[in-house]
Order: sequence, then C-alpha cells, then structure tokens
Amino acid sequence: MVEIDHGCKCPGNPLLPQICKVIKITEETPDVKTFRIQTLDGKKPFTPLPGQLAMISVLNVGEAMFSLTAQGDDWIESSIKRVGFLTEALHNLFEGDLVGVRGPYGNHFPTEELKGRDILFVGGGIGLAPVRSFIRHAIAHRKDYGELDVLYGSRSYGDLVFKEDIFDHWPKACNTHITIDIEEDGWDGHVGFVPSYLEEKAFSPEGKAVVLCGPPIMITFCLISLAKMGFSKENVITTLEMRMKCGVGKCGRCNIGSKYVCLDGPVFTMAELEDLPDEQ
Amino acid sequence: MKIKKDKFKDALASIAKEAKVFLPMKGVYASEYRVWDGAGEPFFERNTALPPKELLFPRSERMYEYDLNAGTVTEAAPDEKIVIAGIRPCDVRSVEHLDKVFLESEYTDVYYRARRENLTMIAYGCATPAPTCFCDSMDVVPTDAPGADVVMNDAGNSYVLTVNTPKGEHIRDLISSFLSEGKADDVPAVSCSLKVEKPDDLHKQLIARFDDPMWETLSDACLGCGCCSYICPTCYCFDIGRENRGKTGTAFRCWDSCMFSDYSRMAGGHNPRPTKKERLRNRYLHKLAYFPERYGTSLCVGCGRCIDKCPARLDITNVPDIIQGSESNG
Ligand code: SF4
Ligand code: SF4
Ligand code: FES
Repeated sequence: MVEIDHGCKCPGNPLLPQICKVIKITEETPDVKTFRIQTLDGKKPFTPLPGQLAMISVLNVGEAMFSLTAQGDDWIESSIKRVGFLTEALHNLFEGDLVGVRGPYGNHFPTEELKGRDILFVGGGIGLAPVRSFIRHAIAHRKDYGELDVLYGSRSYGDLVFKEDIFDHWPKACNTHITIDIEEDGWDGHVGFVPSYLEEKAFSPEGKAVVLCGPPIMITFCLISLAKMGFSKENVITTLEMRMKCGVGKCGRCNIGSKYVCLDGPVFTMAELEDLPDEQ
Repeated sequence: MKIKKDKFKDALASIAKEAKVFLPMKGVYASEYRVWDGAGEPFFERNTALPPKELLFPRSERMYEYDLNAGTVTEAAPDEKIVIAGIRPCDVRSVEHLDKVFLESEYTDVYYRARRENLTMIAYGCATPAPTCFCDSMDVVPTDAPGADVVMNDAGNSYVLTVNTPKGEHIRDLISSFLSEGKADDVPAVSCSLKVEKPDDLHKQLIARFDDPMWETLSDACLGCGCCSYICPTCYCFDIGRENRGKTGTAFRCWDSCMFSDYSRMAGGHNPRPTKKERLRNRYLHKLAYFPERYGTSLCVGCGRCIDKCPARLDITNVPDIIQGSESNG
C-alpha cells in the first residue's frame, strides 16, 4: 500500500508570485508547448518534488495551476496545452518574456515509498507531463527502483509529447511502449488505445505500482484493464485536476469533499479517491 | 465594570482617536458594520444584515501591484487599526472560524493576518435574537463571546463590560474615565426560538447521504444568486483577478460564491458541479460536514442571515432537520 504524504510549506506570502523569465520554449505538439523558467538572476525559482504544482501567470492576463514536468539546476519546466484564454496567452510568449511563478504546491509522487519496487508509468496525451517528473526522478536514481516501464499513447505521432525522451533517452533506462490511436504513414510502432495496449502487454501486478495520468476517459478504461490484470487500487496512483485559484487550501475552489486538490493532492491513490465523494 | 449608556459615545470617541471605529448601524439598504463618524447611533435591536467579514476579508482586496516593464511585484500591506464595537457573539465566532482557515491551517494568509492583528472586537451580548437566529444550537452562547477582546451586555441604563484579552485591557485603559466599578447583575440567559437538533455525527451522516435525492429537493427553488454566501459571516471563498493597465496593474481578490455556475468550471469547459443540486450540496456540506472534518467544528454559526435573506426561502436548518427526522423515524 502506498501512502502519499503532504506538500511542503512555502514561507512568506504564498499568494505573491516571483517574477521569472522564460528561457526556453519547446513546441511539443501543435497545441502543447514546454516552458523552461528561471528567476531574473538566473536561479531556479524553487525545488519542486516530483508531481508538485506551480501557479504560473502571465501577469497582465491571469494565472493558473500547472504540473511541473522537469527541473534542472537552475530552471523548472512546465508543459502547457492550449485550452483557454490564459494558456493562449502563454503560448503567445517568446523566450525572454516574463511570467509570474508561485509554488510549489500540493503533495508529490511517493518517490520514497516506492523505492525497491517496479513501476509502470502510464500516460495519455498531455497526461505524460506530470508523470515525466517522476520518470526523470526514477531514472536519475535508477538503482533505487526495480523495473521501470513507460506506456504512453496519443492520438497521432504529432500529438506525442517529449519525443526526445520517449524515443532516445528513456529507452536506455526503462522499457518504453509507445502507441498512437490510429494508423498513419511513417509510423511502424504500435497502433491502438492505451487501455488495450496495457492489456496486450499483460504486465504482472507482482510488486508493481502504477502511475497513471491522462484524459478522464482513458483513466476510466485503464482502471478497468488494470483491475482485470490484478492491480489493486492501493497500487494505482494518479493525479487530479480541479480549477484552482489560491493553491493553498483557502479560496475553496478545488475541494472534493473535505480535501483540497491543491493541498492534499494532486497525487492520490485510487483507493484514496474511492473514499472521496464522486465529484471530479 | 460598567459604562453608562449616555457615556458610550464619549468612550467611542476616545477609541476613535487611535483606531477606526466600526459600529452596527442602519444603512440606506441594509444594516451593517459601518465606520463611526462621531455622531451616528448604534443599531443594537437586531444583528446587522451584512456580516462583519468585510473588515478582515474585504469584498475586493488589493494583493499586489505588478510592473512588467520593471519586472517587479509589490505586495500590499494593510495596516489600519480597527475596533468593532458591538459585534454579536455569532459573528465573533465566525471570526474564530476564519482564523482557522487564514491563520491556523497549512499556510498563513498575510493579508488576513495583517488585518486580524489590527482588529479589536468589542462584542455585544444578544438580548433579542431574531426569529431566524439559531446560534445556541451551533454552540454559541448569545450573551457571551469568549473570542472577543471585550464583551458588553445591556443592563438597563448601562452596559456591563468584561475584558478578555490584552487588546481588551487596552480598550479599558482608553475609556477608563467613563467606567464605573460595580459588579454586574447576572446577565439573564437568552435562548433562540429557532432550535436545530443535530446528531453528534451529523457530518458523517451527511457524507453518507451524498447521493441522496434530498439535495435535489432542497435545491429545487434555488436561483443561484449567491446572496447566501455574500451575507454569510463564514463564507470565505474568493476569486483572484487583475485590473490591468497595459504592462502594469493590480492583482486583487474578491468574494466568490460556490453557488455560481462558473465557480468550478475548468478551462476547456468541464464542470464538476454542473447544476444547482451539486452546488447547494457543496455549500451545505462545506458548512456542516467538510469543515467539521478538516477543522473540527461546524462552519455555520447560526446567525440566520441566509434564511432571512434567501429570495427562494431556502433554509439551512432543514438539512439537520431531515437527518434528525430520518433518525427518529428509524
Ligand atoms: S440565497 Fe437562496 S436562492 Fe440565492 S443562491 Fe443561496 S440558496 Fe440559492
Ligand atoms: S450558513 Fe447561514 S446561518 Fe449559518 S453562518 Fe452562514 S449565513 Fe449564518
Ligand atoms: S486552489 Fe484555492 S483551495 Fe485549492
């Protein structure tokens, strides 16, 4: 059983953003860009734990909560899909432009608790973004973990995010299984939806934990598949999304029952989610 | 300690020399806690229509200024000293609840803290609860307010004062020339006419009935106007927005209501609480179940404002009544 511990506190005014600079923008897919962010004096804004969130703002437009997908010595990175007003404004930024950043918020993936275990990372579409922080952590601490599998799928080749990672870097340290929904010219990899690929691969639940993130419909079917394969709810971990404003459990926006996703989440085991009111 | 009623305003004037004094007063549209101008009469007949939360958690509050040309953000730091003279025990309790959220939980809210440290509360013990008041069912004693700095009770031609805190002692010192010794006659006990019976495990029973059809029935008449949250002394949900002038501007927060349809709608359109049923359930459960689970106490103080003012006549006390009813029916 995986226990998920709670997020850390940031000192000072938790609602006040730091002004930071976008130092690199990577176009992942037609509607996903990755933003690498650094403080104005060239430092890392803060050190998030894998799975934690940050409130990112275009100061004269608005702010929203995003997962942090990676970090280096002097930067943090977030991959953002264009879905609305603010994300549109983010997508219109250029390298060198300023953003506001506050965080890190929420709990994190159980990196300690899963030491010594096999981990199966399952992602769909942009859902690989939060999972990537844990995959990178696991690869950086490779000997702490058992077998690592990454199963990732998207609509088309063009919609696969982090191509360098999934095709070049990660295969050196884990087993990667990449799939796209519909056949297309030039793709000789697997074709099919993530849940069916999961069943095809017939992963053994023995000693294995699953980290699962993606669109709700994919999660629903993956859960059915994982249950069939014998994975228990305690060993399936996911992240939730809710609308957020404050990030610190005050504005009331992101509650599910008495839990705040910004504070008690975003990482939950399926067993924990089952105990919450069905309002996601 | 006592103060003659005809000296009350003189005492307020002494306090007003060093702090902004707020009194319950009649307004053009509704009674509320208003800045005392040195002459206005207090309105003590019944509790104010509007809650005092605005003084700690303004309906719209500047948080910081940003300047994208200079690459700076500048934090607002509220520093005004405020004394509320005549806040009701239910409203004092509401401040204690807000303290739990803004001061005592995982993160401290610096704006609230600044206002709270600068606030002194002189409570006014309730002698005449309104027909919608049910604070004594919600663990508030109408005539006492342990969370206030000073408590005053009506005793005919004078008010009896009890000092609870160092801030209260300071008030006593400021107005000492108007005070007379004298042990108070016992303040007569006051009982609300509206009673709510609730089982000890109300929060558990409510959560167990999350999918109950009662939420549909209860919310049937709700207009989604949000009035209940605005006038509730303990509703503290807020939105964050900005007033932009090109590359500079102000970020502010303002009251919000979980009764509004776009409250939890996400970018992309998904709304986890799509109809008034889910929204009313969330408001009631937040008061009576989620807050008790998280903070160990109910978030409703029984002030009755939402019952009094709801245009659709919704009544939060129906919720415990239903649970209690189904309990006694077996
Ligand atoms: S005041 Fe009444 S009608 Fe308005 S949102 Fe609240 S419950 Fe609904
Ligand atoms: S829920 Fe209604 S009765 Fe309870 S504190 Fe709020 S306004 Fe008063
Ligand atoms: S975002 Fe404000 S409570 Fe979670």
